[in-house]
Amino acid sequence: MSTSNLHERVNKGNFIDHLAKTLSWEKFLFAVGLFFFISMIIFPFYWMVSSSFKSGAEIAGRAPVYIPSSLRLDAYRELFDPAWKSFQNFGSNIVNSLLVAIPTALIAVVLSIMGAYASARLHFKGREWILNGVLIVYLFPAVLLMIPLFAMLSKISQTFGFNVQDNLVILVLTYLAQTLPVALYMLTNYFRTIPDEIEQAALIDGCTRFEVIWRVTIPLAIPALVTVGIYTFMIAWNEFLYAFIFLNDRATFTIPIKINTIFNDPSPRPHVVMAASTIMTIPIIVLFLAFEKYLSQGLTSGSVKG
Amino acid sequence: MHASEVRLAWLLILPTAVIVFGLILFPAIFSVWISFHKIGLYNLNDVFHAPFIGFDNYKSVLNDFAFKWGGPNQWGAWVTTIFYSFISTFITLIGGLIAAILLNRPFRGRGLARSVFLFPYVAPVISVAFVWRWLLDPRPSGVLNHILINLGLLETQQAFLATRGLAIWLVIIFQAWRYFPFAMLMILARLQAIDDTLYEAAAVDGANSWQKFISITIPQIRYVLGAIFLLRLLWTFNKFDDIWLLTGGGYGTNVLPVLTYQFSFNMYDFGKGAATAMIMMAALVVFIIGYVLIIMRNSEES
Repeated sequence: MSTSNLHERVNKGNFIDHLAKTLSWEKFLFAVGLFFFISMIIFPFYWMVSSSFKSGAEIAGRAPVYIPSSLRLDAYRELFDPAWKSFQNFGSNIVNSLLVAIPTALIAVVLSIMGAYASARLHFKGREWILNGVLIVYLFPAVLLMIPLFAMLSKISQTFGFNVQDNLVILVLTYLAQTLPVALYMLTNYFRTIPDEIEQAALIDGCTRFEVIWRVTIPLAIPALVTVGIYTFMIAWNEFLYAFIFLNDRATFTIPIKINTIFNDPSPRPHVVMAASTIMTIPIIVLFLAFEKYLSQGLTSGSVKG
Repeated sequence: MHASEVRLAWLLILPTAVIVFGLILFPAIFSVWISFHKIGLYNLNDVFHAPFIGFDNYKSVLNDFAFKWGGPNQWGAWVTTIFYSFISTFITLIGGLIAAILLNRPFRGRGLARSVFLFPYVAPVISVAFVWRWLLDPRPSGVLNHILINLGLLETQQAFLATRGLAIWLVIIFQAWRYFPFAMLMILARLQAIDDTLYEAAAVDGANSWQKFISITIPQIRYVLGAIFLLRLLWTFNKFDDIWLLTGGGYGTNVLPVLTYQFSFNMYDFGKGAATAMIMMAALVVFIIGYVLIIMRNSEES
């Protein structure tokens, strides 16, 4: 604000009063808004974690228990302790989810490095066609694809005699199909920001293309690779619909399907559901906080569909 | 350009192309084919010889009780879908806008607050959906029931998510809660790019905060708001998990993605399911074209 204007207002006499009034009014609204948002967000998460530490009696009491009397591990023991009645063997579900999410993330990173390098650096016919096609593909919803995928895979399993249902490899492939288009798009854009001259210099020095990719491009693109890896991991870890359709055998259940099963158990045990949800959510929140700087940029570039 | 380079390029892109073609493009085309054939569990193994039945699947969907408008108490999936996706996208956008304005103001702990604001969006859908169901639980230990009864607003426990009319609004609120961070991030990025001198000039002219908001902020973020609206609408329209996990599609919350699932995997009528998905896609394509045309016309005018 310019000083002349300030003088003018002060001379009018009510400037300070006016300022004080509007400022406090704004500050009040701001505080209320912030409090509203924070509590709306935090409370469900608090409720998830705190419910997981309650006993069966606290969960099914006459009123909600806002603060558990002690950290009861009943729910966690049901998930992990083989001696516990109605033991859920949740450890195997965690392993299944990891068996799906880690390969998905690693393969997505490797394949998208290859694809993105080709579409960012090499000139070939059909390059723009592929890049645009990738974006269109991104708009196809999972609900549209689940029926033909199910039909195709049943046909394949019948023809080749290998079991498509209850096969974690199929999940990895479908998750790859879902994540590769965006991974490719993000990495291509990133590779284009890396100056070509460095690579040209390495090529002139006698490096092969693969050496250039390995020694020059990949080290320079580490932040983007981390972003792609973590995104694909998170998508595969969180995915519900395809796992719900393709997995029927309890032994192959990933975490979301297992949680859904516990939730729909005839005898409701919300504390067990909350314990499983807590275990599922914490790694994601930790990953997110650890890599937030990269991930927020990725979020704004629309890389997570959902 | 060397031939070897072209070969290398195709070699590099081949695995991605095969996966994307085999598991997205081909299935998408195949799904059109399925929608014109009679396919159930009984002939799933011999799917390519399924009988062609023309538009019967489409007719069957359009005449289905769950799909068509059946009066104010039985909206049918298509009205529910349109209602819920527009309202929920709109509220998500408003929530994101308010959150972005809050976070655009410097204060101590802003970085932390920003991270916390993103939690609903990054957390797994199944965890947050089940926490919400647990909060809305009809049993005495359900939080919302307890609070409303203590406040004297409610006499007895209610199954909120199993109440027709209310359930769809709870789904909408859940979606706004879960997806506002996406809108917030995009709007925040745009807000921070607004030139401060605009506000200073307005202050010199004696504009108050509201006037500044209306005549500077809104015009500056108009396009990003439009883009978010379109993106979120597309994704909300196609969303299966949220509604399925909250209500299972019951109590007036049956939307097209859930209906697609039910036709295919509860009734095992895959042709009918595919037809529902095609109707959904057709509606989306029409909407996108209309939206793009309007946006383009507006941007040409201005």
